[in-house]
Amino acid sequence: MQYRALLLLFLGLGFTACTDLELLPQDKADPNAVLSQEENYESFLARIYSGLAVTGQEGPAGASDIQSLDEGFSNYLRQYWQLQELPTESSVIAWGDAGLPELIYQSWTSDNQFIRAMYYRIFFQVSQANEFLRETTTPKLDERGIREGFRPTVEGFRAEARFLRALSYWHAIDMFGDVIFYTEEDALGGEPPLVRSRAEVFDFLIAELQAIEEQLPAIGAAEYGRVDRGALYMLQAKLFQNAEVYAGQDRHADALAALEQIIGSKAYSLEENYADLFKADNHTSPELIWAIPFDGRFTQGFGGLTYLTHAPVGGSMDPADYGIDGGWFGLRATKDLVNLFPDVTGEVDERALFYTDGQTLEIDNISEFSQGYAVDKYTNVTSDGVAGSDPRFPDTDYPMFRLGDVYLMYAEEVIRGGGGSRDRAVELINELRARAYNNNVGDITDGDLSLDFILAERGREVYWEAQRRTDRIRFGQFSTNGVWPWKGGVPEGRTTSKIYNLYPIPSSELLSNPNLSQNEGY
Amino acid sequence: MNLNSTRIFHRLFLLIVCCGTTFLYAQNTVTGTLTDQESGEPLIGASILAVGTSTGTITDFDGNYSLAVPEGVTQLRFSYTGYPNLTEDINGRTTIDLAFQAGELLEEVVVVGYGAVKKNDLTGSVSTIDEETFNRGAIVSPTNLIAGKVAGVNITSGSGNPGEGPTVRIRGGTSINASNDPLYVIDGVPLAQDGVTGGRSPLNFLNPDDIASMTVLKDASAAAIYGSRGANGVILITTKKGKSGAPSISFRAEGTVSSIVNRQQNLNAEDFRNVVTFAAPNRLGLLGNSNTNWFDQLTQTGYGTQENLSISGGGETSTYRVSAGYQQLQGVIRGAETERISVNLNFTQKLFSDKLIVGASIKGANTNDVFDPGVINAALDFDPTQSVYDPTNTAYAGFFEYGNSLAPRNPVSATDQITNVGRTYRGLGNLDLEYKFDDLIPGLSYKAVLGFDVNSGQSNRFVPTTFATLATDGFSGEFNIGSALRTSKLFDTYLTYAKEFGTHRASLQVGYSYQDFNFEGPSIQGQNLSTDAFGTANPRVAEDVFAFNNVVENRLISFFGRLNYNIDERYLLTASLRRDGSSRFGPSNRWGLFPSAALAWRVLQEDFAAGLGNTFSDLKLRVGYGVTGNQEIGDYQYLAVYQYSDQEAQYQFGDRYVTTIRPNAYDSSLKWEETSSWNVGLDFGFFNNRLSGILEYYQKTTDDLLFTVNVPAGTNLSDRVLTNIGALDNKGVELTLTGVAVDKEQFDLTLTGNISFQQTEITRLDGSGSADIQTGGIAGGVGNTVQLLRLGETPYSFYLYQQKYGEDGRPLRDGVDFNDDGEINNLDIYEDLNGDGVVNDQDLTINEAPMPNVLLGFTADARYGRFNLGLTLRGNLGNYVYNNAASNGGNLSRIDLGANYVSNVHESAVYTRFDRPQYFSDYYLQNGSFLRLDNLSLSYDFGSIASTTANLSVYATGQNLFILTKYSGNDPEGTGIDNSPFPRARIFTLGARIGL
Repeated sequence: MQYRALLLLFLGLGFTACTDLELLPQDKADPNAVLSQEENYESFLARIYSGLAVTGQEGPAGASDIQSLDEGFSNYLRQYWQLQELPTESSVIAWGDAGLPELIYQSWTSDNQFIRAMYYRIFFQVSQANEFLRETTTPKLDERGIREGFRPTVEGFRAEARFLRALSYWHAIDMFGDVIFYTEEDALGGEPPLVRSRAEVFDFLIAELQAIEEQLPAIGAAEYGRVDRGALYMLQAKLFQNAEVYAGQDRHADALAALEQIIGSKAYSLEENYADLFKADNHTSPELIWAIPFDGRFTQGFGGLTYLTHAPVGGSMDPADYGIDGGWFGLRATKDLVNLFPDVTGEVDERALFYTDGQTLEIDNISEFSQGYAVDKYTNVTSDGVAGSDPRFPDTDYPMFRLGDVYLMYAEEVIRGGGGSRDRAVELINELRARAYNNNVGDITDGDLSLDFILAERGREVYWEAQRRTDRIRFGQFSTNGVWPWKGGVPEGRTTSKIYNLYPIPSSELLSNPNLSQNEGY
Repeated sequence: MNLNSTRIFHRLFLLIVCCGTTFLYAQNTVTGTLTDQESGEPLIGASILAVGTSTGTITDFDGNYSLAVPEGVTQLRFSYTGYPNLTEDINGRTTIDLAFQAGELLEEVVVVGYGAVKKNDLTGSVSTIDEETFNRGAIVSPTNLIAGKVAGVNITSGSGNPGEGPTVRIRGGTSINASNDPLYVIDGVPLAQDGVTGGRSPLNFLNPDDIASMTVLKDASAAAIYGSRGANGVILITTKKGKSGAPSISFRAEGTVSSIVNRQQNLNAEDFRNVVTFAAPNRLGLLGNSNTNWFDQLTQTGYGTQENLSISGGGETSTYRVSAGYQQLQGVIRGAETERISVNLNFTQKLFSDKLIVGASIKGANTNDVFDPGVINAALDFDPTQSVYDPTNTAYAGFFEYGNSLAPRNPVSATDQITNVGRTYRGLGNLDLEYKFDDLIPGLSYKAVLGFDVNSGQSNRFVPTTFATLATDGFSGEFNIGSALRTSKLFDTYLTYAKEFGTHRASLQVGYSYQDFNFEGPSIQGQNLSTDAFGTANPRVAEDVFAFNNVVENRLISFFGRLNYNIDERYLLTASLRRDGSSRFGPSNRWGLFPSAALAWRVLQEDFAAGLGNTFSDLKLRVGYGVTGNQEIGDYQYLAVYQYSDQEAQYQFGDRYVTTIRPNAYDSSLKWEETSSWNVGLDFGFFNNRLSGILEYYQKTTDDLLFTVNVPAGTNLSDRVLTNIGALDNKGVELTLTGVAVDKEQFDLTLTGNISFQQTEITRLDGSGSADIQTGGIAGGVGNTVQLLRLGETPYSFYLYQQKYGEDGRPLRDGVDFNDDGEINNLDIYEDLNGDGVVNDQDLTINEAPMPNVLLGFTADARYGRFNLGLTLRGNLGNYVYNNAASNGGNLSRIDLGANYVSNVHESAVYTRFDRPQYFSDYYLQNGSFLRLDNLSLSYDFGSIASTTANLSVYATGQNLFILTKYSGNDPEGTGIDNSPFPRARIFTLGARIGL
């Protein structure tokens, strides 16, 4: 009897034993559960936006979006800003991190970690947007029982996701030229994407923006932090303005038309004080077409405005004056930026936001913070002089697109033959200059209106706003032309090779995607 | 155990089997005397069983017994520990006297997974090291007991951190990314593969003094019974059990002294000042006037003690062993300390005439760790001309600090001010029930193992408001309180059936196993404290409090079977099959099948080999094949999941802050790594085993390697994802030779040497369309890597530029236009291998790898009279090391880095004069071959003292006494990228043992 019972026991255990191996994580959510709830669609869309501001799902750092780089360093806006500004006259940075001085010198290689960070951030955004579009198709919505009444909202979200994807593809072709191209049509985990030429992606972007125009909110109608047709026209204008570089096409008339849409709408007006555009309460500014919000409490990180408010502070600057906990002793301006202004104090042109106490104009050694004037353009202090909510993480938002830039672009497109009116161009520029001078002393006349003037005026108005590299390339003044301190790795500066008009494809990506070939010269 | 408790056990057993036992009525009585054949001494407590029943008795002090034999019983079985069982037909006799012959069948038995086999019957590559041959000295982690003892097993001591576990690699490991750690099984309970908050090595709770033997299952035919966890080999740890007989008491006490072996490799104050004067005179004003050796400031001589007490014994049917141990050890880094209190209880009871064996074992330990703040790297960087203290600096507790948020922090301040302690309580228990059905179906037995493993840890870290790192970042003070509860439940059950037919012997085993692992680790963090008065005891003084939790679980369910077949003691076959299911993989890849088979031929048993008997004492040829797996990749990796943002990573829509959700990257088709391997072995012994050895060849192919790769942008939801990428081959030859060089009454000497040759090569890389995979992150910059996985190469081969050298033999320095092309670039100092006129990533070249080609182990054991001397030498050949400490620290631009401070530089900068870091120069790659004297031990046995039964022996041990190497950095052993100066310690131990 004993053995039978034991055998039964054994066999019983064997057959009725637990064979359940389906264990789910308890702190993350299953896609079907998440996306059968309406409110989560907004949360998903917000994640594509936040990819520009934060670096992972934990603030200020943690649960990183990308893993091959230090999380805080890899922030989208931080790298976009560095790649647009460091190789120009606008700035040098003191730190010796591998690859950072090379950005200043225009001598980067395909191993540059900052270029790699930018590359993966761009395509992280594209991938997230694609995934959003895959998960919000009609069959998917049907499958998850999303009610008809919510479908138009989802349609609007889809248009915003496509806009954000277009923004990142613009950055991709602007910096890398021919790039990999994939959309929601390509399955996740599929074959490595193929390469499309810069011009082909440009055409796609133009078509894409046209396709979503009607689905985005009317100009000026979007909630703060989100895009509407105002941002769309601005992105169109940026693409058309640079169409010669991107696709060898003259699209100045199209650029002008897009800018006319913005100006004509009267949805935006200039901020009264230039400096208030970059302060902790800039979300109230009527000039912003689209801003990337940061917040001391809810949107923390080590990129974006944390970087832009901390990195330029050092020397004798008192961090408390800027609403921050401590300077990072990094960014300063070269004298070529300073010399664009009639005086350094800002008394004449209030856009000259320099800190000179204990700083020299000349830079013999880029790693010495005291060399080169500091720039206190971005601060974590409100227009009323009140510090932001957290000295570590500013409340200041990043002005992605603003009306002041629209005016300058309008004037440039008029000069470049896009149509429009020269008088109007002079008028718009003088609006900007009147704000800067607080009178009409700085006004220009039609005779002053030239491309050289525009390049210089852009240097005065939108410096440190991640425009300079693209501007200089459009003006043919980036690599083979144009000399400023430390370009080419020498204090007095020298010209470099035209290969630097494009950044190299990161070597890690070349290794993993056989469809890619390296940009010329790298 | 008295009769009452026997009854209780009996009843318990009845409950378990849900079945009554039928008792038969006594008919006859048999009496007799049992003696030892040689000595004629009576055998006390031998057991006598009426075969086919549960009726039995034991002999008294004179060896006499009397048993009432139930009706129908025709045989009696006599058994006595250490003697073979005897079965006698009664044939109507009423007196049966027997003389036992001792020892003859006392063959060495080796534990294998789910059971044990006689050593002669082994077919796989299995090595056992027992108490006799363990390493001695201040050993905290059990695996150090066998370092250098087993061919093909490379045990690398951790750093000098007390309690830090060594790295164990059996035959070089099989994986690139998933764990290469072997599976540890303690008394049948497999451990979870990872540690727990507040603790150090996962084996630390086990007192090495409680270990009877460690068995290494090296090849797949032996390890395949552990299926998906067997790919990196298995180490079976058996704890000491009691022996029948009078209680034996053993007490051991020892004291240790640990001293630092490394030296400071960055510059001293004087040299540093000279270098600054030469390289950046404008920075001289930032230097201080002191002469501080920051490395010395953070290191110390560590002292430790250990006491262990054990009592064991047993009666005829039961044995017990209880032990308690205390160990306390200071590290050579100031502030690092570990303390362990351990208890161990083993109990075995035989019931029903030995048919039922109940074993219970509980191992418990309380470990208290004090952690140093990990600032030794900072100590190297800190300016040696600054002083430690600055009494005026009251905000920072009187320590010198720069006060700038980017400047380095005074490392002594961290060591003195930060407290970080961990406490863990670990309990591992198992209950084994084994029942032999001999009287119903002879040869059938059933075994069940119920086990649990509970590991509860708590860590408390406190940083006062006067600590500069936080203060300059706008915090005042911080604490972290974390707890971690890791539990595992095990249920194993199997049936074994053994049968002999003629000259054939066979045993078949089938079983089922369930094991789950749960972890939960809540923690809170507080920042901005209003007072330092309460440490971590009063979280309410923190202005900001954050709460975290981490919950994971995984489960393994398995069915397994094994057949052992022995023909005529000549041909041996072992075949096993395991089917494993793991919660770590998706439904389509969840179950795996792991078969194995091995054959052995005992040549000396052949008739034709009769003549060899004079020369050979053993000759066995073995061939085995098996498939094992690796699932150590973490949980939920195959699942598509959305991760919610926390409160600080939201995004503003209008005037609302929206919590975002992110789809995470994943690979739904993730599957286990599968290693299939061949093993051919020859066991031989000459001249009555005066010289014996094992020669083995193995070849392993690991397929579906798991690796976190850079995926082509766009093919997943992040830049990297864990996926199956390819295959690698690993092959090697191992030879172990043991010679008894001298065997005299007063003097004997045994020498053992082992050597293994190993070679690993990537044979396929296809997981992501990748040609090569960059890996090997270094300190310096962000995201820089110096290694590569490439088809046809050893994994982790270094991938570097070829440095050019000047006529003086120095590497050409950067910043000079050596080739006179008017440009200063990499072309001046590195070889342009493809000749395209630029030095870029196309010119990086594949180089040597960190994996040694040859592993050496040598042990000597000499006895002269009452003296005993043992030593263990260990070496690696052909392992390459990238000196990251030099590549990161050895450049002059470091002096110029910071705004208001200067960083110390590595001494190599004085020689290379590199200005910018040259991370990718092969100048930093060096051959790390070494020979290390791991252990030298001398003991003296006083024998019995003062005519009592007490024995006394004393011993002295030195560990890590010297290393021979050409490597210029601190220590060539490690991962191959040497970026931590964490010192290894040299440890001296003096101890005494008293036995009763």
